Amino acid sequence: MTIDKGDKFPAGGAGGSPAGAGEGTVPRRPASPIEFRLDAASGVPTYLQLVQQVEHALRLGYLKPGDQLPKVRDVVASLAINPNTVLKAYRDLEAKGLAAGRPGQGTFVQAGLSQVTLPELAGLRKSLLGWLAAADEAGLDENGMVALFTSALRDFHERRSGPRTRGGAAGDGTEGVA
Amino acid sequence: MTPLTMLARPEEDARLRPLPWRRMAWVTWRQHRFSLGGVTVLLGAFAVYLWLTGLQLHHAYATACHPVGSLACAMNFTGRYGITGIFVSVALQAVPPLIGAFAGAPVLARELETGTFRYAWTQAFGRWRWAVAKLVLLAVAVAAAAEAFSLLFSWYNQPFFAAGYVIPLSTRVFDLHGIAFAAWTLAAFAIGVLAGMLIRRVVPAIAATLAVYAGLALATTVYLREHYMAPLITSRPNLPGSAWVVSQWYAKDGRFAFPSRGSQLVSALSRYCPGNFNGSPAQCLSRHGYTQWSAYQPGSRFWPFQWIEGGWLLALSVLLIAASVWLVRRRAA
Amino acid sequence: MSMSMSMNVIEAGGLGKRYGGTWALRECSLAIPAGHVAALVGPNGAGKTTLLNLAVGLAAPSAGGVTVLGGLPAGSPEALDGIAFVAQDTPVYRNLSVADMLHLTRSLNRRFDQSYARARLNELGIPLKRKAGRLSGGQQAQLALTLALARRPRLLVLDEPVAMLDPVARHDFMATVLAAMVDDGVSVVLSSHVLAELERVADYLILLSRGRVQMAGEVDDLLAGHRILTGPAAEAGNFAERPVVHASRAEAQAHLLIRAAADDPVPPGWEAHPVSLEELVLAYLREPGAAALPGPAREPSEVTR
Repeated sequence: MTIDKGDKFPAGGAGGSPAGAGEGTVPRRPASPIEFRLDAASGVPTYLQLVQQVEHALRLGYLKPGDQLPKVRDVVASLAINPNTVLKAYRDLEAKGLAAGRPGQGTFVQAGLSQVTLPELAGLRKSLLGWLAAADEAGLDENGMVALFTSALRDFHERRSGPRTRGGAAGDGTEGVA
Repeated sequence: MTPLTMLARPEEDARLRPLPWRRMAWVTWRQHRFSLGGVTVLLGAFAVYLWLTGLQLHHAYATACHPVGSLACAMNFTGRYGITGIFVSVALQAVPPLIGAFAGAPVLARELETGTFRYAWTQAFGRWRWAVAKLVLLAVAVAAAAEAFSLLFSWYNQPFFAAGYVIPLSTRVFDLHGIAFAAWTLAAFAIGVLAGMLIRRVVPAIAATLAVYAGLALATTVYLREHYMAPLITSRPNLPGSAWVVSQWYAKDGRFAFPSRGSQLVSALSRYCPGNFNGSPAQCLSRHGYTQWSAYQPGSRFWPFQWIEGGWLLALSVLLIAASVWLVRRRAA
Repeated sequence: MSMSMSMNVIEAGGLGKRYGGTWALRECSLAIPAGHVAALVGPNGAGKTTLLNLAVGLAAPSAGGVTVLGGLPAGSPEALDGIAFVAQDTPVYRNLSVADMLHLTRSLNRRFDQSYARARLNELGIPLKRKAGRLSGGQQAQLALTLALARRPRLLVLDEPVAMLDPVARHDFMATVLAAMVDDGVSVVLSSHVLAELERVADYLILLSRGRVQMAGEVDDLLAGHRILTGPAAEAGNFAERPVVHASRAEAQAHLLIRAAADDPVPPGWEAHPVSLEELVLAYLREPGAAALPGPAREPSEVTR
C-alpha cells in the first residue's frame, strides 16, 4: 500500500494548520481542487461519503486525472474525523482504480469514471420509466418504489463485489418498509 | 520517513534517567510564591517592629540600667518597656503555627482539592520526587527564615536578659530564641503538610494544623520541657537568678507536706502564722519545722535543652514529611 | 504512521478497582491497539474514569493488572514519559499565567515542543500573560490539550474532554487531537458521552456498563458483526440459537439486533439492515446483561501485576 498521508506541517513554524476555518491562512502548497464536507445526519458511513464525493466530483468534472486529492491531514483538521477513515476511503478509491498514492506527495486521481454515452442514457431512462409505470400499477407509492429500488440496488452491489465490511451502500433507505 | 523518528530519544533503554532535581526549584518558587511571600511579610513586619523597638530598648538599658536593679533602671527601663516585652513574646508564639498552617497545609491539600494533582502526578517528573523536592525546599526556606528571625529576637530581648527581667529558660521566651523557634516553625510546617494530605481540603487542614500544634505546644510547655533532664533539688532558700524553678513544696520530718501553692498552703499559713507576722511564708513555716524545697533547672542547661527540643522537633518533622511523601506515593485517585 | 504500531497502548487483564465496598471496575480485560482513536463509552458511574485513572497511574488496581505502551507498568517512569493525560474539567493552576503553565510543563517533562505550544496558543488567541483561571472553559481545555500534545506523547488519554465545550470549541478540540494523530502518530484513548460524534471520530470502541466491559473491538468489526433483522413479531421468538442482543417489538413488527456475520443467510420473510454505531451502543447499554465478542484480534501480551 502506498497511500501517503502527505507532508506534515513542520512543528514550530507559524504555519500550524488552523483547526476549522481556512480563511486568512494562505496554503503553502498547491491545494486539492475539491474539499470534502460531512453530512453527519445522513446515516451514510463517513468513509463512504468521502468516496461518493470523489466519484461525484469526477463525474461532474471538478476532478480530473492527475489532480491531487485533499491531504489526509487537511481533511482531518477541517472535518475532525478519524484519519484512518480518510485512509480507508482512499484505499477504497485505489481498489476501484480511481486513485493512486505517490509516496511523500499524496494521493492523486488516476482515472475518470466510465462515461455512459447519451443514447445509452436515453435507453436506460426509458426502461426506468416503464418500470415505474408497472410499479405504480401494482399499487406501490413513491416511497415504496424508492425503498424497493434501494434494496435491490444493495443486493446487486453485494452480489457484484462480495460482502463488504460495512453492510451496504446506502444506509437508511429501507426504513419506510412496512 | 515516519514522523516519530524525529522525536526518538537518543537512548531507547527501558530505564530512563530521572529528571534532575533542580528543575523543581523554579516550580516550587512559582507555585508557592504567595505562601513564601506571606511568610516574608509576616516575619518582615515583626522584624521591622523588633528592630525599631529594640533600638529604643538597648538605648534605655544602656543609659539607665547601671547598676542593674536601681530605681532608675526600674523607672526608665523595666517599668517602661517590660509590659511591651511581654506582649511581644506572647504575640510571637502565634507565628510558628500561622506559618505552618498557611504555608504547609495548602501544599498538598490544594492540589487534591482543586484536582491539579491529576496534572502534576502524570507528568514525567514523577509524583514522589515532585513531593520530596517541593517539601524539602519549602521546609528549608521556612526554617531558615524562622532562624534568622529568632536571631533578631535574641538581639531584641538581650537587655531584658541582662536586667534579669526574664531568664532564657523561661517558658515565655524559650521557644522564641536559640534554635527552638526554627524547630517549632518546621514542625508546624510538617504538621500542616501531613494534615493537608490526610484531610485533602485546605481550610479544614489549616484548622487541624492549628489545633494539633496548639495541643503539642501546650503539652511541651506544661509538662515535657521540665523533664528533659532531671531537675536539681535543693532546700537552699536563695536560688541563682538564672534558675528556672519547676516546682516548690514544703516538707516536714523528711516527708512531703504540701506544695507551695494552693489551698493546703493557705490553710497551713492560717494555722501557724498569725496575722501580724513579719516575714515570708517560708520563714514562718520554718519555725514550725517545715522546710521549703525547690526543684529547678539551672540556667546552664539552656543550650542542652535547646538541642533536645530542637532535636525531637526535627525528628518529628522529618517523620511527618516522610509520611506525607509515602502517602503521595501510594495514594489512589 | 508510527513504527510502534504493532503494540497495544493499553492492556488489562482481569483488572478491577474497589472503593470501600463497591467495585467501580471488575474483570476488565482489554487490548487497545496503537494507531487508533479508542472511545470509552458508557453511562455515568460505569467506570470510565476509573479505568483511565488506572491506565495513567493515578490509581492502583485492587485486582488484576494493567500495562501500557507495549507492556510498561502503568504509572512507571517510562509510562509517565510516554503518556499525556488530560483529566475531566481540564485542571490547570488558576493563579499561574499561561506562560507559567508552559514553563511548568517544560520543567516537569523530558520533551517539550515550546515553539509548537506557542504557535498553537497564538492561533487560538490565548494570551500568554493571562492567568489560567481567567480563561474560558474552552480555552482552558485547549490549553490543557496544547500542553499535553507539546510533550510529544505516544498516547494521549482524555477523560470526557469535550463535556464542557460549546460545539465550535468541541470541533476545534477534536480536530487538534486528530491532526496530532496524523502528524506525530499519537494514539488516543478518550472517554465520551456524546454518541452522535463517535462514528466520525472513533475507530475502536470499548463499552463499559456497571464496571464491566460489555463490548470492545474495532468499530468496523463490531458493526460488521451485527445487523438488524426486521420482520413479523410473531416469529421473533424463533431466534433462540442466534444471539439476540436487543429486541423492540410492536404488535405486528419486530426489530431484532443480532450478532451475525454479513454472509449469514437472512431468514425468509425477514429483512436485514446494517446497524449504525449509535444504535449498536444504545442497544447494548439498554441490555446490561449482553456482552459482545472479545475485541482484539491480536494476542494480548502477558499482563503482569
